[in-house]
Amino acid sequence: MPGILLVEDDNDLREMLKASFIRRKYTVIEAENGKDAISHFKPLITDILVTDLIMPDEDGLKVIIKLKELKPTLKIIAISGGGKAGPGSYLNLAKALGADAIFSKPFSVNDLISKIEELLLTEQPV
Amino acid sequence: MDKKYIYKGEKNYLKYLSHEKIISDEIINHSRSMISIINRDYVYEKVNSTFCNAHQTVLDVIVGKSLVDIWGKDVFENSIKKNIDLCLSGKTVRYEACFKTPKLGKRYFEVVFRPLSIDSGEITHLLVETFDINDLKRSEQAVIEKEEELRTFETNLPIGYIRCDPAGKILLVNKAMLRIMECHDERSLVNVNLKCFYQEEGLFDMQMEQLIDNNTKSFGRVSLKNLKSKEIPCRISGFLALDKNKKPAFIDFAVEDSTRELMLENRLLQSQKLETIGALAGGIAHDFNNILATILGYSDMLLDDLPKDSALSKKVNKIKGAVIKANSLTSQILTFSRQVEQEKIQVSVSEVLKETIGFVKSALPDNINLKSRFSQKGTTVLADPTQLFRVFLNLMTNAIQSMEEKGGILTVNMTVVDGKLIQHELNKDIVADEYVLLTFKDTGKGMDPSLISRIFEPFFTTREVGKGTGLGLSVIHGIVTEMEGEILISSLPEKGSVFYIYLPVSKVYTELNGNQEKKKKILLITGNKYESRILSLALKNTGYELIYVSDRRNLIKVLGCISDCPELIIYMSDSKQIQAEDLVSIFKNLKIKTPCILITDTNQELLEEKILISGIVKQHLIKPVSLKEIRNAIQISLK
Repeated sequence: MPGILLVEDDNDLREMLKASFIRRKYTVIEAENGKDAISHFKPLITDILVTDLIMPDEDGLKVIIKLKELKPTLKIIAISGGGKAGPGSYLNLAKALGADAIFSKPFSVNDLISKIEELLLTEQPV
Repeated sequence: MDKKYIYKGEKNYLKYLSHEKIISDEIINHSRSMISIINRDYVYEKVNSTFCNAHQTVLDVIVGKSLVDIWGKDVFENSIKKNIDLCLSGKTVRYEACFKTPKLGKRYFEVVFRPLSIDSGEITHLLVETFDINDLKRSEQAVIEKEEELRTFETNLPIGYIRCDPAGKILLVNKAMLRIMECHDERSLVNVNLKCFYQEEGLFDMQMEQLIDNNTKSFGRVSLKNLKSKEIPCRISGFLALDKNKKPAFIDFAVEDSTRELMLENRLLQSQKLETIGALAGGIAHDFNNILATILGYSDMLLDDLPKDSALSKKVNKIKGAVIKANSLTSQILTFSRQVEQEKIQVSVSEVLKETIGFVKSALPDNINLKSRFSQKGTTVLADPTQLFRVFLNLMTNAIQSMEEKGGILTVNMTVVDGKLIQHELNKDIVADEYVLLTFKDTGKGMDPSLISRIFEPFFTTREVGKGTGLGLSVIHGIVTEMEGEILISSLPEKGSVFYIYLPVSKVYTELNGNQEKKKKILLITGNKYESRILSLALKNTGYELIYVSDRRNLIKVLGCISDCPELIIYMSDSKQIQAEDLVSIFKNLKIKTPCILITDTNQELLEEKILISGIVKQHLIKPVSLKEIRNAIQISLK
């Protein structure tokens, strides 16, 4: 089954997302911050990255840049609870950096999963 | 001739006379006054040397000539004759006149005519003494001029000035003081004890005691009440002058109206407060969204597991509904704390306003009348139209609610005002060229002044508990501030409120024609990152790019990179982390010769002088500055 790298610092949210992905029979690799995500990245079994943006120890933007480098075909979904103040919200930045989709918290998990399915569908070359 | 001299011998007497004549001639001729004797026919019979010298002639030329010959007909007829005639009637006449003599030119003189009776009791001659009082007159005039100068100097000063006697009784006030006290006639202040205008009378006595100890003292802010019983915060300093005996002679007070200063201070405090609450609330909202996402996720999972339309799934849907409500709250908090990026585009304010008015009208209660007036309809601002709609809707809804019971009139006006004119009203360091001014005026319940400063705080509400979230106005404040705009309020209980919304008019500035392809960099050093936005908007499409730094480390980083070296540096004195001294030393160390524009508060001159001296500053602007001034300064500096 396709593999999802789930990066989220909020334990409850990560647990919930993990549970809902597993229900859909995805393989889930989880990381609780950007640093772990980058160091434990396994390109071969990871098809899609679902990452939070504001996290301690390397934020989501860094994760996106780094992993895109390591695996250019990686699909990326960024989730965030409203960017911090300043020009250019994090979600828009993430999109600019190559995220295929962005979700603003709180979001419907069903919508997220439909997006994942859609992205993975385009992934499969005939 | 006196007979007693004849007996002593005529020869002796003649000798005596000649001796006397020499002495009196000496005295008369050496007098600094022009002295002459004239007869009833206005003819000179005798004059002294001073007189002759002044006319650059000798005695014989003058004696026998009439006054008309010497002074001319006009002078004689107009100013001399009438005085002589008065004198001939037996009076000593004394007057000041300005006339010309050949040697001295035009000068001021004091002229005295004394009646003389030689031989008989009749007045046959006049003794004329003419003193040169030119120097005296000059210094007198100088004193008058100086006095006048001082008077205009003190009256044109915006600082009120009061002189009191040692007991506090007002002796003198200047015009500025009259303005502060809102009175037209100084008589309403003079002779009144200054103490009467103090809000706290005890304070005045205390200050007087301090003055007797110290002579000069600044008392800081003191509340005075003016003739209309209005409280005026003033900065007062006093100076005690002593007389010869070292006893208090009088006390001078300088009084500065600090109403505006206080207003700006309060507003700054208020915006700092909102900023802090915003950061705090924003942080909480952010964490809250994580929690809500978790609840929503598990609810969705539950819904998947439960049969549709079951009693349990209905309950889960209720949970979801609650989450959505909570989310609307968190998103409002994020808007208030300006943590949501608004998608800004060029928006016609009048279009959005019209749309909002249409929306409001559809549900307007019968007892409320809505009037609107727009001018300069095409004006655009940079905004998120949905957010702008929200601002207008919220303000109109509030206005309508405040008039719900009694009915009233809601007036909505839109106009464009010059940024320069309202520079001092707005709490901004950089002012845009023009602002759209929107006024929302109601005749509703109004507010107590003490509430006005608090209504933008989140969760602050004047409505009963449970009605409304109290977030509305704080969100509006967030949106308007994000747009570099400002909200001002005036309100009177039971009369109604007026909300003034200022939004900077967005414009493309063409006078700065940089290279669009290869943008040149302008470095802004400021402590307030929000200031940078209005400036970067102004520089948009000009070929210049604004980068900003607020701390030393980044400044050195930016300046150290030669390929990235900015064309121009703008230094705002609010930058707490980079002091003017730092800037000078950094520039010195890195051998930076980049032109610099300095933007400072008036009261910080000393500090910035150091930069000015260092020679890199091309332009110096004083806050608040308009965008136009900055653009001009940039243009000049880059030439």
